[in-house]
Amino acid sequence: MKESTRTALLVTARTLVAAACLTLVVTARTTVGWGNLLVMLAALAGLLVLLAAYNRRFR
Amino acid sequence: MTTLSTPTPPPGSTNHASKSAPVGGSSRRGTRGPARRRGNTRFVLACLLPALVLFAVFMVVPTMNVFRMSFYTWSGFSPDKRFVGLDNFSRLLDDEQFVRAFQNTVALLVVVTVVTMGMGLFLAAIMTRQRLRGRNLYRFILYIPNVLSVVVIAAVFSAVYDQENGLLNSTLRLLSLDGLQQVWLGDQKLVVYSVAIAMVWQSLGYYMVLYMASMSSIPEELYEASALDGASAARQFFAITLPLIWQNLRTTLTFFIMSAVNLSFVLVRAMTGGGPDGSSEVLLSYMYKQAYTNSSYGYGMAIGVVIFAFSFLVSLLVSRATRREPLQF
Repeated sequence: MKESTRTALLVTARTLVAAACLTLVVTARTTVGWGNLLVMLAALAGLLVLLAAYNRRFR
Repeated sequence: MTTLSTPTPPPGSTNHASKSAPVGGSSRRGTRGPARRRGNTRFVLACLLPALVLFAVFMVVPTMNVFRMSFYTWSGFSPDKRFVGLDNFSRLLDDEQFVRAFQNTVALLVVVTVVTMGMGLFLAAIMTRQRLRGRNLYRFILYIPNVLSVVVIAAVFSAVYDQENGLLNSTLRLLSLDGLQQVWLGDQKLVVYSVAIAMVWQSLGYYMVLYMASMSSIPEELYEASALDGASAARQFFAITLPLIWQNLRTTLTFFIMSAVNLSFVLVRAMTGGGPDGSSEVLLSYMYKQAYTNSSYGYGMAIGVVIFAFSFLVSLLVSRATRREPLQF
């Protein structure tokens, strides 16, 4: 696979995961409960993992 | 590769000056060095002492007191305090209102951070890179909300969201979009996002100015060189701008966490009071309500401990996730 294609796929995948995490936070808020709160916290953790993954190659 | 070394005298020659000077010098340093160092240490400690005392009195002691009081049940007024151990924390597990406040806080933290940071970066990049006419005016207009008191902003947005005469619903009516009219501060599903919009509006200008300050210090030659290599504006943003303002981004991420917890409290108190039916309650407003309105000071402090732990943990994780060597340019 070409390097540019790989990069494009990676960026797309990361954008989709970030959008999914954001959607999860918004949708899980509509119902009150510990389970939904844990889902929201997991989505927040997912966003932080994405941030760490993006930052890893710059360390 | 060149290395610097002490020149050695030629064999057979005697160099009294070079031999005697270090001995004399080291003996002087040997007698005066430790005393001077002790004096310096005392001076540094004396300079630090007022700040340390203030920090201990106004930060450490109250924080420890919050932790201590979370193990007591106390009305906040009577002299009777009763030690209940972890009972306040176990009560949290069955408190649906606490869970709702926690969910609202997390939602505000994520949504406001993503939207404000995205818009702030976008606007800062446009204002810095594009030679917009009147960009100082735009910057001034966007920065104004940050100068206003949060209570004034709450009043402004309460007027904008007013169901009958508010700017939002009136505009929708004017555009014949009556179906889109909402009770912006009265709908349990919408109210948190109405508060979120006010938070974004309040802080956008501040973060935009912070990012602009970093971006304007990036040398123009870097952009010129990349443009010669055929880099697009987006490519320049992700390959040059973003890495070179990274330290600023890290700092603002911590600000976002703090403001999501603190600013949301003030806006919620002033705009909705936690309503309707507690649906816009955030952690800090719920803690305030329990500690000072509901006469459950100990329970409120248990919520305070959760807020402390949550803010601390998220800040720590953000700091670790974004850590990198600062680039010199």
